[in-house]
Amino acid sequence: MKFLTLVLRSLFRSKRRTFLTVLSLSVSVFLIALLQSLLGTMDSLSTSTASGTRFVVQDKASFTNVIPQAYANFLRQQPEVERFTSFQWFGGEYKDPKNFFANFGVDPEPYLQVYREEANLPSIPLDQVRDFLRDGNGCIVGRTLADKFGWKLGDVVPLKSPIFNLTLRLNIRIIFTGLRKSDEMFLAFNIKQLQEAVPWMKGRVGAFTVRAKNPADIPKLCERIDRHFANSAQETLSITENAFNLNMMKMLGDYSTMVHSISAAVLVAILIVTANTMAMAIRERTTQISTMRALGFRSGQILSLLMAEGLLLSLLGSALGIAMAMGVASAAAKVAGQILPWMADFIITPETLLLCVLITLALGLLSTFIPAYRASRRPITEGLRAL
Amino acid sequence: MIWYLFVPLAPYLLWLLWAAAFHPLPLTYNWRSIWQRWAGTLSTVGAIAIVVMVFVVVLSMAQGVSKAYVRSGREDQVIIMRQNARVEMMSSVSLAQARLILTHPLIAHDEVGPLATEDIIVSKQVALADGSGAMSVTVRGTTPAGIRMRSQVRMLRGRWFNPGLSEAVVPQKMLNRYTGVEWGRSIDMAGRSWKVVGVFDGDGSVFDSEIWTEVGDLRQAFRRYGNDSSMAVRLRSAADVPAFVRDMEQDVRLKLEAKPEPAYFADLGDAGRPMQVLGQIITLILTVGAVFAAMNTMYATVAGRTPEIGTLRALGFRRREILASFQWEAILLTALGGLLGAGLSLLFNGIRTGTVNMNTWSDVSYAFAVTPDLMAQGVGFSILMGVAGGFLPAWRASRIPVTEAMRA
Repeated sequence: MKFLTLVLRSLFRSKRRTFLTVLSLSVSVFLIALLQSLLGTMDSLSTSTASGTRFVVQDKASFTNVIPQAYANFLRQQPEVERFTSFQWFGGEYKDPKNFFANFGVDPEPYLQVYREEANLPSIPLDQVRDFLRDGNGCIVGRTLADKFGWKLGDVVPLKSPIFNLTLRLNIRIIFTGLRKSDEMFLAFNIKQLQEAVPWMKGRVGAFTVRAKNPADIPKLCERIDRHFANSAQETLSITENAFNLNMMKMLGDYSTMVHSISAAVLVAILIVTANTMAMAIRERTTQISTMRALGFRSGQILSLLMAEGLLLSLLGSALGIAMAMGVASAAAKVAGQILPWMADFIITPETLLLCVLITLALGLLSTFIPAYRASRRPITEGLRAL
Repeated sequence: MIWYLFVPLAPYLLWLLWAAAFHPLPLTYNWRSIWQRWAGTLSTVGAIAIVVMVFVVVLSMAQGVSKAYVRSGREDQVIIMRQNARVEMMSSVSLAQARLILTHPLIAHDEVGPLATEDIIVSKQVALADGSGAMSVTVRGTTPAGIRMRSQVRMLRGRWFNPGLSEAVVPQKMLNRYTGVEWGRSIDMAGRSWKVVGVFDGDGSVFDSEIWTEVGDLRQAFRRYGNDSSMAVRLRSAADVPAFVRDMEQDVRLKLEAKPEPAYFADLGDAGRPMQVLGQIITLILTVGAVFAAMNTMYATVAGRTPEIGTLRALGFRRREILASFQWEAILLTALGGLLGAGLSLLFNGIRTGTVNMNTWSDVSYAFAVTPDLMAQGVGFSILMGVAGGFLPAWRASRIPVTEAMRA
């Protein structure tokens, strides 16, 4: 501890250099923290508390195809099934295609049960639930989405879907506050509206979302359902909701490879920059170090003093970078969350923080070791001669 | 977009050019000085090279996506869809409408017949070759005219499909990414088994991401009697396009939406937008970091050469000449990094990968397109870094009092 002042003094010997290096370090850590958290947030969305109890039954060839609603009869007969709802993506646009949010048709009553955790069902007033179930044109929306467009209970929302070439005018009957903000960014309405208005949707649904009584039963349930429909006109593919979400994320392209590659490239860049700074800082002090050794400092001590200096430098940079990233993340969650639903829950994830700590340690040690080792081993007489 | 950043700097840069041309301090002096402190130089050059490389590579992905779409359209071809349908998959055109459109006098003919095709678009989950899952792939049912109209499409091995036999052809470029669609294999779809009888090349267009089959077979398999997805026609000349589009929209029997193919594909090419924005944000952030690094190196250079600067001043060189000289040195340093980075990015050129188009929910395969324009932009960025990172140190160098500098 008594050497801390010494390390600090040496670190700020050239204030400008230290300052510039800390800034360039912090910018890089800032970028890495943001990018990695972006990935982490996307991943965490594909797993929610209750999604482990659900699976999706869809057409085997493509999730954009519709399957017969009559398949529900078989689902109903399975003892392991708790509840299930039809599901059809509507792709409706509110006023402008840019106002994108998820909206879909469902079976109202079972839907609330299947997603009771996400919708926080016990918190919804009973009269709202009753209105939603009674009104064929009723819809349920999340609080965040309602706030975004200034919707209130009873408002009429016109949704125009280019997929179905259909405009539905829906009455808001429930505004719920969900577990996460990203769970609140959607609208759901009675699928009958769609089936009655679009001829080819008659008796058809996009998929079923099924809730099993026990998550352990899901694999055999999926297998049984797919086997049952194997030789029908339309084969099914049953996958867990987590796998379904992961697949959707994966479809976005290999963003994770891209993010990891960029992070790695940035790390290499910042490592050479930091190493250069430390090399300069140590080279300048050749005589000083030799004097210290002449005064009786052992080379091991010198080495650890210099390494501590490098660590402190990278620690300063990382701390600043993480602080900036956290500030930007919360701002981005507010702003971008309005456009991209999943951004509403954007935070710097704990995994990212751990990663940044590791990066800091590695940067500090790797950048300093070689110049510090050389400086601590240099013959005293040679170093003093530079005086 | 980067070139706009040069506008406010233009007077300064012009002055620098003038200084370099009529300058008593030659650039070779700076070139040699750079290599005096090679460790610092290499670290800065390396860091900047990495930033520039990230910039060029990420933007080359966005470029690749839009290039795939640009290659797909022809000036004299029009795509006809249901009103408000943004993509073919969402559209429907009835057979009665199609028959009517075929009679339009502006449609071009070749020796076989009218150059017009009714297509059906469906999608199919196909397993990825790396075993990591499956992707949604576009399946296009088309006609012999449709094959003739897409002149970028060429049969490589095997033959085109015959009607009534449930045959399909796949693009060569799909074979690296996907499995189960190889020549001779069968694809299960809509309760039928479709035999792959040929492998084609789409010359980098979006057709490289589509499985093609005969439209009549697809019509039956998916029970789409009486309506197809879309229609594409070639007109006698590109000048006829506006008149034809107007006819399609105004004919009360049709009321369809017609779009010139270049416009249609340009809209779809927006799929690369998120990547482009991401790439620009990342570069902006990294540039700030690189400027600090360059500044650091240049300050060290100035500090290390203080006696030299004093000597130069004593010899009669003026302050602004010192300023220009050090500014040039900074630009040389960063431009070196920029050139290296742009060169390294070429290693990525042509790598094929894919993304999903959010409009169609289907996979689009594309190749990283490292264009000369992108590389020039990357080098442009590095020059900006040199100007931004070098100015303060150069200014400082020019302000060192002669007496003090000589003493140091």
